[in-house]
Amino acid sequence: MYKLGQYVYQESPVHRLDPRVKLIAVIALSIIILHVNFVGLIAASAMALAITLLARLSWGSVLKTLRPVLPFFFCLFLLYIFFTPGRPIPAFPIGPVQISYEGLNFGILQVWKFLLLVVAASILTMTATQSEITMGMERLLRPIRIIGISSHDIAMLLSLALRFMPTLLDEMNCVSQAQLARGANFNPRHLSGKIRAIRYLAVPLAINVFRRCDELVDAMEARGYQQGHRTYLRELVLSRRDYCLVAAILILLIVVVYE
Amino acid sequence: MIRVHNLTYAYEKGDSPVLEDLNLHIAEGEYIALIGSNGCGKTTLIRHLNGLLIPSVGEVQVDELNTRDSKSLLEIRRRVGMAFQNADNQIVGMSVEEDVAFGPGNLRLSSVEVCRRVERALDMVGMTGLRTRPPHTLSGGQKQLLALAGLLAMEPKIIVLDEPTASLDPEGKKRVLTLLKKLNCQGLGIIHVTHSMEEAALAERVLVMDQGKLIADGNPGEILSRVEWLKTLGLAPPHISELMWQLKKGGEDLSTSIFTIEDAVEEITALLARLRSSSKAYLPQKADEHV
Repeated sequence: MYKLGQYVYQESPVHRLDPRVKLIAVIALSIIILHVNFVGLIAASAMALAITLLARLSWGSVLKTLRPVLPFFFCLFLLYIFFTPGRPIPAFPIGPVQISYEGLNFGILQVWKFLLLVVAASILTMTATQSEITMGMERLLRPIRIIGISSHDIAMLLSLALRFMPTLLDEMNCVSQAQLARGANFNPRHLSGKIRAIRYLAVPLAINVFRRCDELVDAMEARGYQQGHRTYLRELVLSRRDYCLVAAILILLIVVVYE
Repeated sequence: MIRVHNLTYAYEKGDSPVLEDLNLHIAEGEYIALIGSNGCGKTTLIRHLNGLLIPSVGEVQVDELNTRDSKSLLEIRRRVGMAFQNADNQIVGMSVEEDVAFGPGNLRLSSVEVCRRVERALDMVGMTGLRTRPPHTLSGGQKQLLALAGLLAMEPKIIVLDEPTASLDPEGKKRVLTLLKKLNCQGLGIIHVTHSMEEAALAERVLVMDQGKLIADGNPGEILSRVEWLKTLGLAPPHISELMWQLKKGGEDLSTSIFTIEDAVEEITALLARLRSSSKAYLPQKADEHV
């Protein structure tokens, strides 16, 4: 699951874009997607397809990122079709339950919207490295210093979380293997086994996380870390192309929202 | 130059001190090994050298800067680089080069300068080819070298390493130790905390700590050859020195301040040659008796 939606190295115009532009684009597109109807949704989907092609990503690898959310969206779909009042569909009287044309219509529209949002986010994480996204966020969030929060701190927070994700996954495997070696029996096929496994993994893992934190804090302080302003290996520079694109996206956003 | 003056430190007020009235002077460019059994205060001492801990009594001075002065802490930490035992928990960046850039970034250098320093530090530890790798894909030895590169990018005067080779395989150990020697030759001061007397023998000065006190300070020859004394402190003398010591105890005329196999071979060969020549002088007489 961790591999899904990970950065795919490619030489493409989408990969070369400034991460700030990609972030703004994803946010703007999300708002647009939530505002449009069927026709707009088809246009937005076509656009997502075009961006995928332009980024030289395989359509399959993008769709694969939808897999973990499908069960959730399926439940959502059922809720929409059963609980939206309207004209009943005569061919669908499953027992006492009736579904309506409106429900079917609304369910498809909503689930399609959500799936498209996930696709948009996946294209972002597949065309920008984690550090690019962090850097982009840091630059976009700089204005929040007027309320006394440094965007550098938030970027640090984010990048540490991402940096330690694989380390903690390794550690979790390590803890679970140590327990299996001592005869623990987690049957992953059964829900009860899974729940028991979580109970036995959570405590040792949490203790280890705190120990790691202590060491990390020392190491960061020893390397001169202080809250607030710091500099980076690469500074982001917006090109004219980046500016034009942001302008185009914002115009599209305004047109859609005020139509 | 670091000067530790009458340093006493207790973690909590009223507790018995972990460090007691410790005095130490470290000159520029020295290669120092710090040894002592677990819980003797080695780690507590080194944490004072870059202001991670502040003395309860006494002073720690790095050049003209005092660790009590919070304004000079950043500069102290730039001059005194410090790496800890578990390299994995010291890596901050999402890639090798970003991690090396963390220190210079904290110094608020321009990105051109950060870039130059990252380049140079990676070159010094021989990791230029791995610059874009995510840290969790590195081996233990590579992580330790990365931690070192992160320090070197700050352009320190002295680096303090807490058991840098503890979790490494022999190959990784050798790489780290060779690098330390090379860096020291280029004028970088090194304080190496270690449990391995073989590693301590590589330094030019050895400090021995016991129960919060500095109990010996001298060159490896003087200190590591005191095999019985080291054992009473709970330290394992180098195997080779112990071998020489056992032989000497058995009545052989050998030096015990020997830490490498090469030196031991030389010493034993010399002993054998002496024995041979003395027995040659003896044998002909025997032959004469037979005739």
